[in-house]
Amino acid sequence: MNLLEMKNICKAFNGVPVLKNVELLIEKGEVHALMGENGAGKSTLMNVLTGVHPRDGGSIVFDGHTLEHITVKKSEELGIAFVHQELNLFNDMTVYENIFIGKEYVNRFGRCDKKRMVKKAAELFERLDVKIDPLEKVENLKTSEKQLLEISKALFFDAKLLILDEPTTSLNNEEVEHLFQIIRNLKKQGTSFIFISHKMPEIFQISDRYTVFRNGEHIASGLIKDTSPEQMTSLMVGSAFSSKDVYETRPTGEVVLKLANYSGPGFANINLEVKKGQIIGLTGLQGAGSSELMQCMFGATCAEGGSMAVAGKEVPYHSIHQAMKAGVAMLASNRKENSVIGDMSLLENMYLAEHTLSAKHFHIHKQKEEKRFEKYKAMLSIKAQSSSDSILSLSGGNQQKVFLARWLNTNADILLLDNPTQGIDVGAKAEIYKLILELAREGKTILINTLEIPEIQKIADYCAVFYDGRIVKILEHEEINEQTVMLYSTNAVNV
Amino acid sequence: MTSKKKPVSRFLAQYSFIIVFVTIFIIFAITSNGLTVNGIMNIFRHSAVIGIIAIGMGMVCLIGEIDLSVGSMLALDSGFAVVIYNLSGSILVTLLFCLAFGALCGVINGMLVGYVKMPAFIVTLATMLIFRSFAQYFCQAIPKDLCGGGSSVYRMVNSIDSYQAFYGFGNGKVASVPIVGLVLVVIVVLFTYLTTSTKFGKKVYAIGSNVKGASMTGINVELMTVTVFVIAGVLVGVSSFLWIAMNASSDPATTGKSYEMYAIASVVLGGISMSGGRGKCLGILFGAMSYTVIDKIIVALKMDSLINDAIKGMILILVILIQIAGPQLKNKLQHK
Repeated sequence: MNLLEMKNICKAFNGVPVLKNVELLIEKGEVHALMGENGAGKSTLMNVLTGVHPRDGGSIVFDGHTLEHITVKKSEELGIAFVHQELNLFNDMTVYENIFIGKEYVNRFGRCDKKRMVKKAAELFERLDVKIDPLEKVENLKTSEKQLLEISKALFFDAKLLILDEPTTSLNNEEVEHLFQIIRNLKKQGTSFIFISHKMPEIFQISDRYTVFRNGEHIASGLIKDTSPEQMTSLMVGSAFSSKDVYETRPTGEVVLKLANYSGPGFANINLEVKKGQIIGLTGLQGAGSSELMQCMFGATCAEGGSMAVAGKEVPYHSIHQAMKAGVAMLASNRKENSVIGDMSLLENMYLAEHTLSAKHFHIHKQKEEKRFEKYKAMLSIKAQSSSDSILSLSGGNQQKVFLARWLNTNADILLLDNPTQGIDVGAKAEIYKLILELAREGKTILINTLEIPEIQKIADYCAVFYDGRIVKILEHEEINEQTVMLYSTNAVNV
Repeated sequence: MTSKKKPVSRFLAQYSFIIVFVTIFIIFAITSNGLTVNGIMNIFRHSAVIGIIAIGMGMVCLIGEIDLSVGSMLALDSGFAVVIYNLSGSILVTLLFCLAFGALCGVINGMLVGYVKMPAFIVTLATMLIFRSFAQYFCQAIPKDLCGGGSSVYRMVNSIDSYQAFYGFGNGKVASVPIVGLVLVVIVVLFTYLTTSTKFGKKVYAIGSNVKGASMTGINVELMTVTVFVIAGVLVGVSSFLWIAMNASSDPATTGKSYEMYAIASVVLGGISMSGGRGKCLGILFGAMSYTVIDKIIVALKMDSLINDAIKGMILILVILIQIAGPQLKNKLQHK
C-alpha cells in the first residue's frame, strides 16, 4: 500500500499553470527521489502537500486519510515533515529548546520540564547516532549539525514522511555518508523519504525509486536500479540537453588584468596575469580564499596590500564604483542575498548597475532601456513574459541570466563570476557554460570561481587552485581533472 | 500577460489610497451640508505643510529607514527662519535659510545613519528631542526683539516692508487655488517624476528592497542614505517657509507637534512599505489629504477636537486591516 498518493494535482499562480495533472506515489519505507530542473514544480508540489499553498485540483491520500483541505499544522500532525533547504532554527536558543518549541513538556504548574526534555533529546540523538549536546546553543553548531538537528526534530514527533530539500548542499562527504546511514536505518523502521537533490551520484546512492518532473508535468517514475544518470538527465531536461564538450581554444590578447602580491581578508600574495579573452577558473576548498579574492577585486572588501591593475591602470582599494569604472563586473554568489532586488522588475534589475555609472544622465529613457533588455533577452535566451514582471517570478537559472545581462550592460571587459551556477539546474547550467565561452570569444575576460571541478573542466583555459589563501598551482586546460585539482586543493602534494 | 487578475482589481490594489480618500471625502461631503469650492481648496491649504513633510518621510521610508525628527525640525527651522526674517527683512534670504538649515539637519541625521551606521530610529529620536528643545530654549535665550517681542513665540515683525507680500504669499490664492496648495502639487509632481523616471529614484527603491544587493550593483548606499535624509530635511525647510508665511509666527512648543506621526501615517496610508522598496509617491499626497479631510469632518460635525487623533488612529488601523486581512479573507473564501 502506498503511504502517499497525490493524483492529478493542478496548481496555477496568477493564471500561469505550474503543476499540470502531476502524480506522486510514495511507498512505505522507501527513499523517493523527486527530480526536475529548477522551476519544474517540485517545490510547489511539496508546498501543496504541506499545506503552504492550496491546490487547484486533484486528490491527496496520506496514510489512508483523504486530505481535502490541508494546513501546515494538519500536515505536521499527520506526520509529514518538511526539512527545508534554508534551515528554520532559532539560533539564539539551545538545541533541546529548538526541538520542543511549541510542544514543551511542562509540569503541573506549567513550568517547563527542562530535565525531561534534555533527557528525551539525548535519547533521540543516541538512537540516531548524532553527536550533539542538547544544551548547546544552536548558533554554535556546524551547518551539518544543524541539518541533522532539523531532521532529528522531525523524527522526534514521529514523522512518517520526511521531505528533504537538498539536504547535502552544506555537508562534506563524510557528513553526507553519516546522513545517509541515518536515512537507511530509518527506512528499515518504515519511515519514507522524499529526497530532492541536484546531485546525481547521491541520488543513485540512496534512493529506491524516482519521479521526474519537467515544466510542471509528470514525465516518468520508476526504480532507480532500472535507470542511469544519463537517462535521468535527459528525462529532466528533455531534448534540449547535449552533454558534448563545449570547450574550444580561442585566440587571446595582451594582459588586461594583473594582480601583484595582492593580499586581503582571507588570501595573501596573489600573483596572477590574465590575458584578454581568457577564462580562468578559480577553485579550492570552501574558505580557501578564491571567493574572498573575487570580492576584494570587486571592491566589496578592502585589500590589505599589493596591487590590482586593469589594462595597465591600478584600481583603488575598496570601491565597487571604481572597480566598475575600470571595467570590472562581478556576478556575486548567493544570488538571493547579493543580486536579487525583489521589489523590482526584470528591466529594473537589469539596468540598475549601469545606472550607477551613468548617474549624471538623470532621466531614464524607458524605450531605450526596453530595447537593451530585448537584446539581452534574445542573446541570453531569458525565458520571461514581460520586462515588467517581478524578478521573483523567474526560476533561478533565468534570474542568473538577468544578472548576467545586468553586468554585460555595463560594458565591463572583465567578468568575475562567483559560483554562477549555484542552485541552477542541469539544462540552464549547460546554457550558462555556452554563454561564458561565447563571451570569451567576443573578447571578454572571465574569472570563474566554483567548487565544482567538472564545471572548470568544461570551460576554463587555466585553473588556479587555492589552498589556505594562496594559489598553490595553476593547471592548464588539459591538466584539469577532479583528481589533480583535489590533490592540490587539499595540499596533498606537499605532505 | 495571462494574468488572472482583472485590470480593475489590479488598479484598485495599486491605488487603494484613492479609494480611501474618496470614501473619506464622500463622508465629508455628506456631513458638511454641501461642498463649496472654498471648502475643497482649503483641504489643499491645510495639507500643504504635512503633505510636503510626508513626501520627505516617504523617501526615507522607501530606503527602509525612518525619520522621527521632522516635527521638531519644523519647529526649529521655522523658528529660526522667523529670526532671520526679522533680521534681514528679505523673503528670499528667509527661503534660502529655511532650505539650507533643513539640509543641515538632514545631513546630521543622514551622516549618523549612513556612515556611522546607527539605527535611524535612535538617531532621529535623539535629534527630535534636541531640535524641539533648541527651538524652545533659543526662543527664551535670544533678545526679545529678534523674535518679534513675543514671550514664548517666534513672531514676524509686521512693520517690515515685505511683511504683507510674505503673508499674502502664505494666504493668497491663484484662481481660487491656495498658493501653498500649488507648492504641494508641484512638489508631488517633482517627486513622482524623481521616483518613477530617474536613476536616482530607482536606486532609492533598490536600497529599500535589498541593501546588500543594491551595494553590489555599485550603488553607494551610505551616500544615498545621506542624500535621502537631506532631501527630507530640505522638504521640512520648504514646509517651514510655508508655515511662517501662513501663520506669521511659530510656537516652538506646538509647531509640528506629532507631525512625524502624521507623516508616517500618511506614508503608510499612501501604501508605502515601512520596510522600504515599495510604494508610490502619489499615495503620500492622498494619505496626507485624507487626514486633512478627517479634520474637516470633525469640525463639520462639531465634535470635540480632542477626539481627532483617536479617529485618525482608528482609520489607520482600519485601512491597513483591510489591506492585510482583505486578501487573506478572499483567499479563504475562494478555497472553501
